[in-house]
Amino acid sequence: MRRALIYLMLTVASLVMVLPLLYMLSLSLQTEAETLAAEAVIVPESPQWGNYAELFERAPFGDFIVNSLVVAGAITLAHLLFDPLVGYVFAKFRFPLRNTLFVALLATLMVPFFVRMIPLYVLMAHLGWINTYQGLITPFLMDAFGIFLMRQFIQPIPDDLISAARIDGASEFAIYRRIILPQTRPALAVLGLFTFVFQWNEFLWPLVATTTPEMRTIPVGLTLFNQEYFTLWHLTAAGSVILFVPTAVLFIVSQRYFVRGIALTGLR
Amino acid sequence: MSVLRPRTLSARYARTAYLFLLPAILFFAAFFYLPIGNVVSTSLMTGPQADRFTGLGNYAQALADPSVRHSFLVTVAFAVAVVAGSIVLGLALALALDRPLRGRVAFRMMLLVPYLTSVAIVGLLWRNILDPELGVLNRSLSAVGLPEQQWLNTHPLLTIAAITLWQSAGYTMVLFLAGLQGIPETFHEAAKIDGADGWHRFWRITLPLLAPTTLFVSVMAVISGLQAFGQAYIITNGGPGDATDLSVFHIFNVAFRARDFGYASAQSVLLLVVIVAFTLIQLRAGRRGEVQY
Repeated sequence: MRRALIYLMLTVASLVMVLPLLYMLSLSLQTEAETLAAEAVIVPESPQWGNYAELFERAPFGDFIVNSLVVAGAITLAHLLFDPLVGYVFAKFRFPLRNTLFVALLATLMVPFFVRMIPLYVLMAHLGWINTYQGLITPFLMDAFGIFLMRQFIQPIPDDLISAARIDGASEFAIYRRIILPQTRPALAVLGLFTFVFQWNEFLWPLVATTTPEMRTIPVGLTLFNQEYFTLWHLTAAGSVILFVPTAVLFIVSQRYFVRGIALTGLR
Repeated sequence: MSVLRPRTLSARYARTAYLFLLPAILFFAAFFYLPIGNVVSTSLMTGPQADRFTGLGNYAQALADPSVRHSFLVTVAFAVAVVAGSIVLGLALALALDRPLRGRVAFRMMLLVPYLTSVAIVGLLWRNILDPELGVLNRSLSAVGLPEQQWLNTHPLLTIAAITLWQSAGYTMVLFLAGLQGIPETFHEAAKIDGADGWHRFWRITLPLLAPTTLFVSVMAVISGLQAFGQAYIITNGGPGDATDLSVFHIFNVAFRARDFGYASAQSVLLLVVIVAFTLIQLRAGRRGEVQY
């Protein structure tokens, strides 16, 4: 009886979570008439795959996809390059001002993005970087959370390994590259996944920092497309599916990493 | 000479450390500390170019501006609803899942899926579903003869809070699950032997020992709730009227539609102060209430 109730609750909750997304898929395959029919269509009579082609004709959707890939990809790469290196330094090196710098780093966790939004816009306008890839990418090249995560992960690696390599005459960068980095692989996977998904979904900065359709990322391009063609819901839905598919695929193939990653964020 | 070839080992390590840190120091200086300095200095300026010094004029104006006050109250109400919902829903789902169940991984996966969607998807999808005329919900309700809903007009703030919960409940559930798994089984067994029923065990053992997780969830939900933007921008455009004029949406409009960077900067600083204050209060209250075991 209790067990049945729990199953019921979980099933209802799961349906509430998943059905809207399935409806989005259905909507993306409906004819315009079906999206407006007095009785809502749940399963389209014949799937209109042509909607996806029409979307690319009405908006530079190919550009949106390339922009999203470039921006989210570059930022993810930068995190994977810098976060473990900086985390390693804070985990294993002693140097003057170490604690001061670490506190200054963690303090940036308290700074929400909207605080940086206006000055970053002014800075980018000054540099002529509005509506450019460098303008979209540079504000997110590193973040304190990724560095903190890597530091926590690197700290338990025995110091003896590092000393032994130093005695063998390995250069400091070789120690990082050959000894530390290979051991951080699980943490890097979590870091890479989360960074990519968050940047792929990012909305506010690409909205502020782009001025022409050709430079927009998918979330922004799609939202502004919807404002322009607000009755063409089947096309907006098709764009939403395109935006969702990469994260859904990443999630399905690496569900464990996501769950572990979220749990890690809570273990502070 | 001594800079290039440090004599002691520790000086050499320090040099290496700073070499490795250099890109990070430059990045955080240029993209965090410089902007924070600039948002404060811009907040003291006025005019379309934000180049006339006005001292605390923008702050005085913001504190007296009814639309700023209104949007702040709306934002706090929104954040409170999201926090309460996150804790109740996240904990309920976690408690349901924290046992051997068939299909446990599948349930967890389905519940977590909306968390991966962009606010653009969340906003557009729910605006479509809830649209009074074109929305699938009303077209289905009227087809079966049920009364139609107008939730985005009658309860706009609660509706966008609920939509936000749809996206974030899976995330808080996973946090609570991790918290539940950290509670040693022996406590529950001991209480069972002492004759405590499930209800008592929840209130006396589970909930107090989950306090750190609950604290973390509420801090995160307050921080993200107070800076919600896409919900207002995409779903309601701040309306109807100004019913969902969330603070960051308000700031965005002052900055990029009215082009008053000085006034918008002052409002950003004020909201930042509120967020930091909320966080510190919660952390202090949480530390006092923490249970040791």
